[in-house]
Amino acid sequence: MPGIELKNVTKTFGAATVIDNVSLSIRPHEFMVFLGPSGCGKSTLLRMIAGLESVDAGEIWIGDRRVDQLAPGERRVAMVFQHYALYPHMTVRENMSFGLRNVRLPDAEIDKRVEAAAKMLEIAHLLDRKPGQISGGQRQRVAIGRAIVKEPHLFLFDEPLSNLDAALRVRTRLEIAQLHQRVDAAMIFVTHDQIEAMTLAHRIVVMNNRKIEQIGTPMEIYSRPATTFVASFVGTPAMNFSPVELSDGPNGFVSARLPDGAIVATRIDKASLPISKSFKLGIRAESLEICPVGQGETAGVAQFVERLGDRTLVYVKLSDGLTIVAGDTGNSRVAINDQVGVKFDGSDAHLFDDQDRGHHAVLDGSAT
Amino acid sequence: MTTQLASGAVGRGFGDRLILAATIALAIVMVIPMLWAVGLSLKTNQELLVDTQSVLKAPWTLINYYDILIGSGVFRWLLNSIIVSTGMSLGVLVLSSLAGYGFARLEFPGRNVIFVLVLFGLAIPEQAVILVRHQLFSDLDLHNTYAGLMLPGMSAPFGVFLMTQYFKAIPTEIDEAAMLDNASRFKIFWRVLLPMTLPAQATLGIFTFLHAWNDYWWPMVSGTNQQMYTLTVGIASTQQNFAESAGLGYLMAQAVFASLPVLIVYMFFQKYIVRAVSGAAT
Repeated sequence: MPGIELKNVTKTFGAATVIDNVSLSIRPHEFMVFLGPSGCGKSTLLRMIAGLESVDAGEIWIGDRRVDQLAPGERRVAMVFQHYALYPHMTVRENMSFGLRNVRLPDAEIDKRVEAAAKMLEIAHLLDRKPGQISGGQRQRVAIGRAIVKEPHLFLFDEPLSNLDAALRVRTRLEIAQLHQRVDAAMIFVTHDQIEAMTLAHRIVVMNNRKIEQIGTPMEIYSRPATTFVASFVGTPAMNFSPVELSDGPNGFVSARLPDGAIVATRIDKASLPISKSFKLGIRAESLEICPVGQGETAGVAQFVERLGDRTLVYVKLSDGLTIVAGDTGNSRVAINDQVGVKFDGSDAHLFDDQDRGHHAVLDGSAT
Repeated sequence: MTTQLASGAVGRGFGDRLILAATIALAIVMVIPMLWAVGLSLKTNQELLVDTQSVLKAPWTLINYYDILIGSGVFRWLLNSIIVSTGMSLGVLVLSSLAGYGFARLEFPGRNVIFVLVLFGLAIPEQAVILVRHQLFSDLDLHNTYAGLMLPGMSAPFGVFLMTQYFKAIPTEIDEAAMLDNASRFKIFWRVLLPMTLPAQATLGIFTFLHAWNDYWWPMVSGTNQQMYTLTVGIASTQQNFAESAGLGYLMAQAVFASLPVLIVYMFFQKYIVRAVSGAAT
């Protein structure tokens, strides 16, 4: 199976640039997720790969074929749309076989592929029904089946789970992951849901404002965010940020001093930090622990308490006015307006320089 | 709560009964003239000349229908009406669908301006253009031809508007899915989108057919040869005097006969007509 290569791809609508010089390699059989907020350009990029949007500059290659000038049907890609895009007047069988008939595949081969896909997706009993006679989840399976029968080099999914209810979304997500194991093709999945991205992807492309912010495995994206945008977009709740002043810490690491005077000992190698006018500390809620006043690095007032069952999130307003989110146990007794202490575990803290580049704790436990 | 529900139910029941009563009254107003026409058609012309109230008394006869069968030009006019109405309906459906698809899906210079110009056609009464049209058709030697009777009705701004809106309402994802399925643009139009517009086609087709069937003015202007009369013109031509004091039964028999095809259309397409009218009201 071929890989996919995007080389300096740009797209403009009038004066507005919606994809700005994007380059990207997708390995054969890789599951790649484009993650980002609405309007970041992820769907446009997907549609450019599909051939539904023209490429104004740059090249798109699938294997050794340059495809950006080819019609959508000639690219050997299949797409599953957000709203299914089934042909309502055709039966499920006709929907799945329509593309194969257009390339004049023999009837026996069409039947074989449709039956096999229907069996795999457990929709064989629906083949003679029309889309209006089946449920939303079943329609999504038909849409996936329509893609499978084409035996494409590349599957494209454009937010395919967003129309499903929560339970069905989880189930379909699992099924898509299983499908990827069964078919010999790469997949690109567009979503704004970080859970979908984290659970499905081999690698995630985080996009913001028409550009790629970071490409990496889900844990790289989560643990070593390249920018404050990635750090805040991925992970729930969003990462806490605070301007800090740096000082020397033990073992060549730096310590960060928050505006309220709290000192956070990090495991970020001082030697690896660039010269920067300012730094911002980023630290996730799970690295902040609620404790009695006086036992932590800082203290504040609980402004809001979010009970999630297995854990509790406490929004704490510090003395300098900054609000941070800290984790507590599921049966936390913290109430609104309580004075609480906050203990920092700086071993997973991040620093962001004035160019918005992230710097992270060393991986092997010692400074270089 | 129970009281409120009960009074609500009573209120709805009274409202329903009021609407039913009004509907029955209107239906009577509509149906009585039709039944009267049927009644007149079943009486001899001589009896009617003496007293039209004789409709209510026996004897009744089918003599007027027999006269139609043996001596009238009504069959020819019926055939003409069927050809003109069917041809015009098909023409409107084909042209409006193509134009609607074009306006909804294709990008070309001046698209919006041309669409507005088409809509202007809705505001221009036929009377305003009939002299010019008559002259044009005369120059083209189209009077007293089926083409001459059908062509003016085929320019249907409402049809173009309706189909444009209908095509616009279909998500473009459908087109895109078909493009990824290797379908050509024509195939997308013909196999994918056009079948999805069938409800609109049915509405447009029925209304165009009924309009063409009932049209009187242009067929009277263009079809001056008796062989090219449509039913409306033909029946009017058999009126023997202004008050129609003579030959009333025969005239009514022709009118009833002429109504039969439209009644058949109504019976078969009732569902679509009701849907179209209720759709227009919402």
